[in-house]
Amino acid sequence: MVNAIMRGTTAVVGVGQTPWYKRGTSGEPALKLAMRAIVAAAEDAGIDPSEIDGFVSYGSERNDGQRMMPALGTKELRFGALVWTHGGGIPGALGLAATAIVTGQANVVVVYRAMSEYRGRRLRVDVAQDDTSPQHLVNGLDSPAQMCALRSIRLIEAEGVPARTLRDMALASYHHAKRNPRAIGRDTELDAETYEESRWVSEPYHLFDCSRENDAGSAVILVSAERAKDLKQTPAYLLGAPMGAAQGWGMLEESGNPYWSAGFQGVADRLWADTGYGPGDVDVAQIYENMTGMGVSALIEHGFCTPESAGEFVTFDNLVAPNGGLPINTSGGNLAEGFIHGMSLVGEAVRQIRGTSTNQVPDANLSLMTGGPGDPVVSTALFASAAAL
Amino acid sequence: MEYEFYAHRITGGIGADDRFWESLEEGEFRLPRCADCKRWMWPAHFRCGQCGSWEQLWEPVEMSGRIYSWTRAHYAFDRTKERTEDLPYVVVVAEVPAADGARVVGVLAGPDEGVHVGAEVRGHIDPPSEKAKGYPAVRWSVVN
Repeated sequence: MVNAIMRGTTAVVGVGQTPWYKRGTSGEPALKLAMRAIVAAAEDAGIDPSEIDGFVSYGSERNDGQRMMPALGTKELRFGALVWTHGGGIPGALGLAATAIVTGQANVVVVYRAMSEYRGRRLRVDVAQDDTSPQHLVNGLDSPAQMCALRSIRLIEAEGVPARTLRDMALASYHHAKRNPRAIGRDTELDAETYEESRWVSEPYHLFDCSRENDAGSAVILVSAERAKDLKQTPAYLLGAPMGAAQGWGMLEESGNPYWSAGFQGVADRLWADTGYGPGDVDVAQIYENMTGMGVSALIEHGFCTPESAGEFVTFDNLVAPNGGLPINTSGGNLAEGFIHGMSLVGEAVRQIRGTSTNQVPDANLSLMTGGPGDPVVSTALFASAAAL
Repeated sequence: MEYEFYAHRITGGIGADDRFWESLEEGEFRLPRCADCKRWMWPAHFRCGQCGSWEQLWEPVEMSGRIYSWTRAHYAFDRTKERTEDLPYVVVVAEVPAADGARVVGVLAGPDEGVHVGAEVRGHIDPPSEKAKGYPAVRWSVVN
């Protein structure tokens, strides 16, 4: 049975983002980038920033609403929260914002993330939140790239998924970035040969399998579906955004099951149950790929393919707009557009519903955005046009 | 006994594995199991999720198993810079049958030919070192 309280009762009506800067080059602290993105999202929606009464983020976001409210002219802060845990929390943040709206706690809620190395820490330290265990650090494992690599080796060697699927994920993202003027990687000509010859980061990941680090801010604004109708943008209705972890997952270091999982066991099933749709209905997807291999695992767990059929499904031709069976990461994604802890993927999922992507999928009515894969707790979201409500 | 790793405490993670590191410094490989239902519980935690017991036993375990997964690291990230001169190095996640398949991480010792999922490995213990950030460490070697 669908979740009638959450399904289609709120919508994203504003999208705002700063330019993507190479890390450390924005010249602005994260707080200012967050506010730039939030103000841009409000302008996009046709709502005065002072009307925003809810602030929701995830991971280690430190630019909380109370810090920004004097500068945004906030009339009243009525709701504020951070969703666990890292990038796995993004769609869950959308779900929490929607919860605040449908329960009458807030009316205009912004979901955002901003990062900057300017006067800050190394971004990768910020993203890791100092919660890397001694079992990892003692044994030469620091970066998510390395921990995800362990899972992807298992996917390849034990589940038989071809390593070539990782490459095709990367090629699709860089292909899409070429048409996106905002994308940091728009001028990178990536072909199979360049990919194979690029240096290893942590096997099976080459350089081009890994997301970037950027200074930027990114924000979206949600309101009730009723209010959304009167605003200037085409609403991207939120159909569902479940978060969670099944038994056998959670903070289990290297003992989670299945080991190759991106964490969506149970969570993806709830998305389909809550929304009344299935993987075959989705027109376009933004698949959070901290590393390509985890994106492949996310596709499998959302039911687009199985480990056995992944080789057939995860091909460049099938993943690119406008004619692929499932165009993914149509802005270039975390690999080629820029990495702001995955938040840019939300904006692109919304643009596909509006029909304004630079790699638009014709008649996109159902747009998926999956959260940071491999996190101990993850979330996933489905947006719809009015036609698919 | 004075344990060295306490002076280099890494605070991330669950934080229930002090006895693991103490044992390694004593030269023993011990893993935790529930004192009541005897379930192996790894990574270490404070309560058995199966029976509710708050007590654990740390039992000596034979250091042998199979490679569950592995990666060859080619880049020294910020907090593992101590290993820069060893690049590339292989990190192994070994499945240990004597502890119901607990998966224990260790940096590969010896040649890396034969590293693949399913390969048999044997372990030994390194005393605390700078490379292991002041902690003792499990090392795995491929059995040929």
